Amino acid sequence: MKLTIKPVLLLFLLAVAGCKKVIHVDLNDVAPQIVITGDVTNATGPYIVNISKTVNFSESNVFPPVQGAQVTITGTDGTHDNLAETTPGRYATTLSWLGKTGVSYTLTVVTGGQTYTATSTMPPQVPLDSVSFQATTGLGRKLHLQAVPNYQDPAGVSNYYQFTENINGQDYTKKVFASNDRLSDGKYTSRRLDTDTTLQVGDLLLVSMYCIDQGVYNYLSTLNNESDAGNFSSVTPANPTSNINNGALGYFSAHSTQSRQVIVH
Amino acid sequence: MQRKLPVFALFLFVFPLCLFAQTKYTVSGTIRDQSTGEALIGASIVLLEHPRAGVLTNGYGFFSVTAPSGNYTLLVSFAGYKSDTLPITLTKDLLLPVRLTPGGPELQEVVVSAHKGNENVTQPLMGVQKLTINEIKNIPVLFGEKDILKTIQLLPGIKSAGDGNSGFYVRGGSTDQNLILLDEAPVYNASHLLGFFSTFNADAIKDVTVYKGDMPAEYGGRLSSVVDIKMKDGNDKDYTVSGGIGLISSRLNVEGPIVKDKGSFIISARRTYADLFLKLSKDTSINQNSLYFYDLNVKANYKFDDKNTIYLSGYFGHDNLGLGNQFGTNWGNTTGTFRWNHLFNSRLFSNTSLIYSNYSYLIDVNSGTNNLTFTSKIRDLNFKEDLQYYVNNDNKINFGFNVIHHTITPGILDATQSSSFNSSTLQNKYAMESSAYVSHEWSPLTKWKFVYGLRFTAFTLLGPGNFYSYDKNGNAIDTASYSSGKAVKTYGNIEPRFSASYQLNQNSSLKASYARNVQNLHLISNSTSGNPTDLWLPSSNNIQPEIADQVALGYYHNFHNNQYEFSSEIYYKGLQHQIDYKNGAQLVANENVESQLLFGKGRAYGLELFIKKKYGRLNGWIGYTLSRVEEKFDQINNGSYFPAKQDQTHNISVVGIYQASKKWTLSATWVYNTGNAVTFPSGKYDVNGQTVFYYTERNGYRMPAYHRLDVGATVEGKKTSKWESSWTFSVYNLYGRENAYSIIFQQDPNDPTKTQAVKYSLFKFVPSITYNFKF
Repeated sequence: MKLTIKPVLLLFLLAVAGCKKVIHVDLNDVAPQIVITGDVTNATGPYIVNISKTVNFSESNVFPPVQGAQVTITGTDGTHDNLAETTPGRYATTLSWLGKTGVSYTLTVVTGGQTYTATSTMPPQVPLDSVSFQATTGLGRKLHLQAVPNYQDPAGVSNYYQFTENINGQDYTKKVFASNDRLSDGKYTSRRLDTDTTLQVGDLLLVSMYCIDQGVYNYLSTLNNESDAGNFSSVTPANPTSNINNGALGYFSAHSTQSRQVIVH
Repeated sequence: MQRKLPVFALFLFVFPLCLFAQTKYTVSGTIRDQSTGEALIGASIVLLEHPRAGVLTNGYGFFSVTAPSGNYTLLVSFAGYKSDTLPITLTKDLLLPVRLTPGGPELQEVVVSAHKGNENVTQPLMGVQKLTINEIKNIPVLFGEKDILKTIQLLPGIKSAGDGNSGFYVRGGSTDQNLILLDEAPVYNASHLLGFFSTFNADAIKDVTVYKGDMPAEYGGRLSSVVDIKMKDGNDKDYTVSGGIGLISSRLNVEGPIVKDKGSFIISARRTYADLFLKLSKDTSINQNSLYFYDLNVKANYKFDDKNTIYLSGYFGHDNLGLGNQFGTNWGNTTGTFRWNHLFNSRLFSNTSLIYSNYSYLIDVNSGTNNLTFTSKIRDLNFKEDLQYYVNNDNKINFGFNVIHHTITPGILDATQSSSFNSSTLQNKYAMESSAYVSHEWSPLTKWKFVYGLRFTAFTLLGPGNFYSYDKNGNAIDTASYSSGKAVKTYGNIEPRFSASYQLNQNSSLKASYARNVQNLHLISNSTSGNPTDLWLPSSNNIQPEIADQVALGYYHNFHNNQYEFSSEIYYKGLQHQIDYKNGAQLVANENVESQLLFGKGRAYGLELFIKKKYGRLNGWIGYTLSRVEEKFDQINNGSYFPAKQDQTHNISVVGIYQASKKWTLSATWVYNTGNAVTFPSGKYDVNGQTVFYYTERNGYRMPAYHRLDVGATVEGKKTSKWESSWTFSVYNLYGRENAYSIIFQQDPNDPTKTQAVKYSLFKFVPSITYNFKF
């Protein structure tokens, strides 16, 4: 749960007619850094690992792929898979296997003379009961609908969740929905997924729920803090804490997944 | 050598006491305003025949001067008042109440005295700034609401925490390192409406003194500064009602005698109605919100006899914000002070205080089935005894002690059964903070003056509760259980304070000072703007007391018959056990919040220049600060020093007040500062289709430079004996500079292949108008 009062600041901005303007800021160039994202799920693969590099802020959002890396995923259950590069920078598992809960998976990436590893353990799945809708108002926003996933949080254990939305076939990528049960352990949980889009009645919505491990949660929630920085939170932004070693950006997540497709009503 | 030091100190205290050979007598009393009976703080009293026998009145207007028997002329002077000379015959101890008549600044030019108005040169204390309400009254501020905390930001070494913000940084210290006292009671959250107003209603305030780290030993508890605010006592002659009607707030002030010349009261109230403007909006997402604050200052005093006076003062402030019926929050401070001034004899003045201070907030969320409230508070009970012993004209000793009991309720989360959250209560934290001090003001030679002292503080964290220890990853490795009242951890600290002045000539002096300050209550904040949800934590088994050591050197020079005063000070401050928190720290409702903290150190240094024209039709000042403040944490920025966010290299303030005619007063202020240090992204990358920014060093960039001109004008209406009125007009940010409040990096909404930087500005050309009246 976040108890921030920053919307109020926005209210004040509206009230006193503050203004906004796109400006040029002189930012330093940085040497390209390696970025690795990948996951293993309990759904049918292949599982994908993407490797790319950072670019300077002023450049276009075209991220150079890292080709020819050696990518391996191993599991504590004996899984061993050497991934194959299917398109530049995109590596897919080659064997037919299903990720299992309770198993720890290790991703190893060798590129440019450096080895990067990350380990993630797939937590037990928590059933997603249903997806409902809630009408809400925001500051300067009319009454609009947002999706609410409903599930029973298991008592006595720490659980970490990630949700994704796909609206009419489009992934919603502006925000990461990560939550934990620190303040809601054992509760029947219905927490709204607040987006900046307005769901229309009749839209086809796919909500996916992942059960993630603590390391991935730490990564995603700090990633969120940072995107919140775009909302006047004065938290000093920093790179999220990755579960990959040797300074690679990104994360590796072994998580269970389940989805509900609903028509917005 | 180590062992000789205490002996030497004792000698310094005792030696002056032995100098009573000759028959001497004491003249003492209280200096008050002729028309209202308000005690005047910091007024100067000098025996013209004994120029060295001069003192300033204390916080209650009291003075005591001792001289050999004989005939003397007492010169009493105070800025904004006509000076008075009183012939006295000292053949016995005299009790002499003095009343001064307010006088316009133009009159002050005429009354020129070599002994008047150069206290800034002769007094050894450094880094002290005093403002009277008369000075604050005419300086334009945002929304036309005269504001003490915004006005002190115009002084060198004191910087604003943001556009229109009442939060401030003193010599690089963070906002929680300021001790803000209202009639001796600490105020934990000194801001209303997220910092855009301070909690102090200027109508009820008499005097403001700011100590920038070199505070005398009677103050303690915060690292960087003390802002000592004294409320008015109330008119003890006549009933008066005054007030103001402004665009977004109104004020009413009632004062009068309880028993004429013996006791008086004052009630001062204020409320904003900014939300009424929101109601005008047709947009339901705006007009259903509420946004207001009110505050109330009350005070009464009664003088039993010449030796005993009691004061009762209280402050109640409350803020309320609501967004439709989905979200509401309110917070407020309550303080109460009971004081008893007692004069043991004409040279020993005592003040006993009982102080209560409470700060609390409540957040109410209603969202679907998720109904919950979250409350938190901090409460102090405080007993304080201060004694001032006027030994003779060269020696004054201040001593006393203070015991504070803190109760911190970090959070109570109350959720309905159907909510997704569990109700939970974090354990209360209790602590006892005790201190004792002694301080000696000593003028051994004509040119030398010293103020030195020691403050001893003991801070004890008390049970009941479970107290955790953590490993370096923040996992609890040990739990210890303590029963009620049992000491969990005690920290004792000795804080030496020293300042000296050497008078080069009548008009100039050199000063030096050293002070150590210790802070045992720490604000864990993830915001610059003074969020009401900020969390206070006591020193504990995991958190060590914050310590600051400051050394300063200064040159003071007055010229043109003390009409102008100039000062320059350089300082260096070293800070230990500073607190930051980990990336992604969970600060709210977290029993293990201490595991989320990082500890490091800091350093701040700078040069402050100040020139002030005190009298005349045109008066005002120019302040300039060149400074640097840096922090160092092992886990941040690879463990190297980085500039703190409040680091501003250059800071300039220009304040001018011009008495254009009997009716019109014009004023203007201009401020300029280097932009704050800030963390911007240098690169970007892709995470599952989301463009994420890549950061290199902490606070490696700068916000754009900030500057702004404000102007104000006050016109007095027809004055009769029954009715006075005036209009105040002001414009904040006259030339419409779009100062960056925040710079945000985001995806270009019109081009998904690009990212952009967007600058948000707040206040551009904000006019205001206020009608003030008094009858």
